[in-house]
Amino acid sequence: MSTASKVRQIQLVGQKIRQLRKEHKLTQVELSHRLGIQQSDLSRMEQGEYRVSLDTLFRILAEFKVGIGEFFEDVAKESITPRDVQLVQKFKDLPDHAQREVEDFIAFKQAQGRRESPDTDD
Amino acid sequence: MITDTGKVDGAAFEELRSLAHRAVDAGRLEEAQSFIEQALAWAREHGTQQQVDHASCNRAALAIQLGRGEGELAALREILLRSGDPATNRLAAYHLSLHYEVVKNFKKSLFYARIARDRANVLGVPEWLASSHNQLGNALLGESLIDEASREYEQALELMPGERSVVRALVLNNLGYCRVLQRRSHEGYALLYEALSDLRKFRALRYQVLPHLDLCFAHLETGRYRLANRQGMLALRLAEETGQIDSIKNALYLLGEAANLSGDTETAREHFTRLHREFFPDQTYLPGFLLAVDVRKLVNLHA
Repeated sequence: MSTASKVRQIQLVGQKIRQLRKEHKLTQVELSHRLGIQQSDLSRMEQGEYRVSLDTLFRILAEFKVGIGEFFEDVAKESITPRDVQLVQKFKDLPDHAQREVEDFIAFKQAQGRRESPDTDD
Repeated sequence: MITDTGKVDGAAFEELRSLAHRAVDAGRLEEAQSFIEQALAWAREHGTQQQVDHASCNRAALAIQLGRGEGELAALREILLRSGDPATNRLAAYHLSLHYEVVKNFKKSLFYARIARDRANVLGVPEWLASSHNQLGNALLGESLIDEASREYEQALELMPGERSVVRALVLNNLGYCRVLQRRSHEGYALLYEALSDLRKFRALRYQVLPHLDLCFAHLETGRYRLANRQGMLALRLAEETGQIDSIKNALYLLGEAANLSGDTETAREHFTRLHREFFPDQTYLPGFLLAVDVRKLVNLHA
């Protein structure tokens, strides 16, 4: 992962914390009190300027009782994980016909996923 | 304590404190506590108020390291307010700062570290001034003020040129970690390896965990995952041996990150799962989350 994307990631995490805090109608003072940290520290964290211990980081994650996938959806979209890199490398190592087969299989799985998750509004 | 001349004197008091100091450096904290209790008992019976205060501060320092600092806070504050002696004041303020660093209240730690530094300035003893700058650096680093913390560590090192000691090694280690965060990795490596070498020389087993962890992080940041794994494993083993919980957590996290970045997802999952199972049992999403999101930029190993 490049330095730029890492910096972007920490900013996104900060933005996500701010967004969730607002969705939960919490002020910085209220949330910082719940987390046991200072309001000014939370403010710097939301701006992506503050590093914390593992304990504090996981406390923040636990505070928002939403799915972790949802919590970090935006971050994950912008991040290339080592597993992603490995998959791309493996894909590129395949011969052309095998790559086409993989693409077909992905298209099949996507279609299957759409069939299994029909729009509930219907 | 009765000296070999059969007399009770101040030298015996200092000898007990020195024995305690050496035991602390070697990570034998319970043994150190025994020496300090003897020194305190001696001071109460034969010594001056200043000696009682100093031994009380030493006892508080050990309690802080053993995770029992809360019970010593009142005594330290009382000494800080009562004593007119700058040396005693410095010692009390320094240990109050240390306590708040341990409990991760870095703002309070900073407050007392500044008092300790001011008193040390008045006293003009380089060793005390150096340790105060280091303590100030630790509080600033906990607050993620990396550049400011670096300057304090630099000042501390300037006050101990050429000297090789456990304290200097710890300052080298702290500055090394800052350099890695500042993307000055070459300097960071040099400082961290020198710190590790000195801590090994002094057999300061407990403190060797710190450079191993920071070197693991440095290797992660520079893409040397095999070396990161080696340093992480050494840190984990030592942290387990010496019972340092926060360091065990950090080692498991870093080892997981090293495995994940090198593409070994299964090993990464094992480390992250252990981290979740032993320390964050309610957070079932942790292994999956850490496999998916690189949180290195969010984590402060010295906070």
